[in-house]
Amino acid sequence: MKKVSRRTFLKWGVAAGAVAVAAPYVMMNKNNMFTSTLTEMAGAPALFDVLVIGSGGSGMRAALEAGRQKDLKVALMTKLVPTRSATCMAQGGINGALRHADARDSIEKHAFDTVKGSDYLGDQDAIRFFAEKAPEALRELDYYGVAFDRMQDGRMAQRNLGGHTYARSAYSADQSGLVILHTLFEQCLKNNVNMLMEWQLLELVVEDGKLCGVVAMNMHSGKILPVMARTVVVATGGYGRLYWVRTTNPFSSTGDGIGACLKVGIPVKDPEMVQFHPTGLAGSGVLLSEAARGEGGYLVNKDGERFMRRYAPDKMELGPRDLVSQAIETEIREGRGVGEGLHAAVYLDLRHLGKKKIMQKLPQLRQLALNYEGVDAITQPIPIRGTCHYSMGGIDVVDYKTCATAIPGVFAVGECSCLSVHGANRLGGNSLAEVVVFGKYAGNGAAAYARNNAFDGNQTALDRAADEWEQRFAAVSSRSSGSTVPSIRDRMAATMWQNVGIFRSRTRLEQAVRNIDELLEEYRSCVVRDTTRIYNTAFMNYVELGNMLPLARMVAMAALARQESRGSHFREDYPRRNDQKFLQHTIVTRKGAEYSLTYRPVAITDYQAEERKY
Amino acid sequence: MPTMTFTIRRFVEAKSFSRDYSFEYMAGNTVLDGLIFIKEKLDPSLAFTASCRNGVCGACALRVNGQAVLACETAIESLAARYHSARLTIAPLGNFTVLRDLVVDWQPKLDRMKQVKPWLIPQDAFSADTGCRQSQTDFDKIRGYTDCILCGACVSECSKLAADSADFLEPFAFVKAQKYVADSRDDAPLKHLDPAIQAGLWRCMHCEECTAKCPKSLDPAEDIAKLRVMAFKKAMVNSAGAQHAQAFYEDINDIGRLNEAKLAIRTDGIMKSLTRVGLAYRLMKVDKLDPFHLPEPIKNISKVQKILKAAKEADKS
Repeated sequence: MKKVSRRTFLKWGVAAGAVAVAAPYVMMNKNNMFTSTLTEMAGAPALFDVLVIGSGGSGMRAALEAGRQKDLKVALMTKLVPTRSATCMAQGGINGALRHADARDSIEKHAFDTVKGSDYLGDQDAIRFFAEKAPEALRELDYYGVAFDRMQDGRMAQRNLGGHTYARSAYSADQSGLVILHTLFEQCLKNNVNMLMEWQLLELVVEDGKLCGVVAMNMHSGKILPVMARTVVVATGGYGRLYWVRTTNPFSSTGDGIGACLKVGIPVKDPEMVQFHPTGLAGSGVLLSEAARGEGGYLVNKDGERFMRRYAPDKMELGPRDLVSQAIETEIREGRGVGEGLHAAVYLDLRHLGKKKIMQKLPQLRQLALNYEGVDAITQPIPIRGTCHYSMGGIDVVDYKTCATAIPGVFAVGECSCLSVHGANRLGGNSLAEVVVFGKYAGNGAAAYARNNAFDGNQTALDRAADEWEQRFAAVSSRSSGSTVPSIRDRMAATMWQNVGIFRSRTRLEQAVRNIDELLEEYRSCVVRDTTRIYNTAFMNYVELGNMLPLARMVAMAALARQESRGSHFREDYPRRNDQKFLQHTIVTRKGAEYSLTYRPVAITDYQAEERKY
Repeated sequence: MPTMTFTIRRFVEAKSFSRDYSFEYMAGNTVLDGLIFIKEKLDPSLAFTASCRNGVCGACALRVNGQAVLACETAIESLAARYHSARLTIAPLGNFTVLRDLVVDWQPKLDRMKQVKPWLIPQDAFSADTGCRQSQTDFDKIRGYTDCILCGACVSECSKLAADSADFLEPFAFVKAQKYVADSRDDAPLKHLDPAIQAGLWRCMHCEECTAKCPKSLDPAEDIAKLRVMAFKKAMVNSAGAQHAQAFYEDINDIGRLNEAKLAIRTDGIMKSLTRVGLAYRLMKVDKLDPFHLPEPIKNISKVQKILKAAKEADKS
């Protein structure tokens, strides 16, 4: 018999010990929140009462709300590890008329500022509801443990952000979104929300108008799986990556949920309304928070002039984002910027704030400028310019109180949705408020629907859709000649930036539609060049591009049809707002390769459209 | 333009291998830029994760030459200068299960973190309707903890996890525990502290790799120390770790140096110490332990006692 060495004996001992020690942990985790193998182990596909897709602020808030109702089977599916979503990048703050910092504030003022900020395209009933619910949503976050900056008396502090009459944005230094997202995640852990982590959504399956569920790829195993669901809450974030490197958005903001909704006939509302943030770093598009201007930063051109006095004499740097972005672009066009072509910029100057204030209030922002631009904000002005930041448009929500869409059982919330609270232009601090306010109502809406409606989806249709994706995976991953995914994506982004950017015109938009149609054709025979199953990110990128291209087509098409300038949508050939024709939402529907466009009136309850001056 | 070669540790469907990729880079290019270039131009099968690309989401942590960094905020140029090399080894984070190439499995890590109840257990005075109250001073005590982005850099080089992860949590979990122990809004420090002790609070080896590697300048090692101090304050001293620390303190206070023979008995008690006779014998054989040596107090023991007393006073105020 082979002699057992002392070392081997010790190893066995350690291994036995480890098993003994680990056993209780394994037992403890029997109600494992991460049930990635759930639908694979059960043999038959699981049926979820509420399936939330996306792990940003709105998805987590929705899953938390539904997940608390212990009799329901709820899961949160995300293509990421949950805390990697765009919400963690929000810096400035979260709005609510708490009246801590300024007693003159009110629900009405918050609602009016939002309506005016939206350039009157926002639905006033939804906005009123939003402003009403925001203060309680903030207090709830405080109670969940969000580390908010404080007033003297211990209540949440509030700061001023662009376009707001009063200081109404609660904040946590310049990382408000990060703190909120992680706190929501902790609450999901506390409430044992099931997480299907690193699952790529492939398709929403609806047959005869009835929701069956989704087909998704578990990245860990590479398996393509049908997942039955009574309700699906789409919370997959915006589509800033249509502009690829010219955006502040994370790599994941590829409009997956919107693409899935489009495919089953749910329309997209106001897709042309894409917000360009005025202060992206010149080199990378990385965002510098509006807090920089909220704390008193200046925007100056190459002559050192605070040029906002010519565009928004009262609000100056705190004018709304669309006005400031257009002002910066005009300065550059008229030769008062620095640098050439794509590298042109103006400056964000913080030097007069002093080292102490910069270090205390804007530490993260200073670090970003140091890392990616090599500039120290304490001693140098930071070169900045516009960068695609936010998608006001999105999945057409037909009932803002539940976030329901046109297909029963399908809900949408957060940046992927269009309620419409932001209209043609979103105000700073309103997106974090939107995700927590409506995340809750979407979670409740879906839960109530799941309770009151039997599952009448068709499991065969779901299985068939999964089989089709199986075949598609095999065909696409093994294809050896054709354009690559990144090459098509880069050309899409270039045409979007050049032709569907801050300044738009008929000729440019027509060019964009033609270019994207060509790219859509090219996509049909593109290559992935990775045939493996486990964590195949090349295939994931292929799926993402497949969601982005039709969306890009819709943004260009809607921008072409809207012959006016409103909010973020600026037409050089129609520089004025036209309320007679376009005080309406654009509704775009896709049927295969056919795209059709109609309009729907804006909900006006309290405020008649008037000229927007700051 | 200078050339860089990444030697990347690959792991694809149970096959492990290394592959070299060379590319030209410019000042300002990051490790993530390099990986994206490789994936898009050289080898689409390379898998890694990245999301925000400016250091707040934690998706792109990996190892460069054995050290954990965030790929998105680490400049290739500075690495080339630091290592005097045009070649860097890129590998997935240590102490994680690798799913594929540079992608690691977070599921078990986040599951384990739940043990310390990483969420606010609010005081009764607060409610979801009214929110909480907290002074700015108390807020300042917790603000640093919110910088954690769960990137896993602290896990990668943790010596204790490398030796045995069954009885010790990832360093970030202790940061989460301390975050809520330190939060004035929290009602129940023991509800975080007690599980932290169960989950290995006294087993940290003090290598401080977690603190050295944290890209957000958090200090998990210090937080573990703070939790230990809190354990003493709450009289949670019935663990081997706490008694070990107490024995250290008493030896220093009494004689100004350690009495190692006594230390084991004080830490584990007589019965458990008896199970270590073999180890003691081996130590004695190589002159590492002398049971008959009773150390004398050092010359200036009264000064040491004064320092300890002053430290205690300072801690009280």
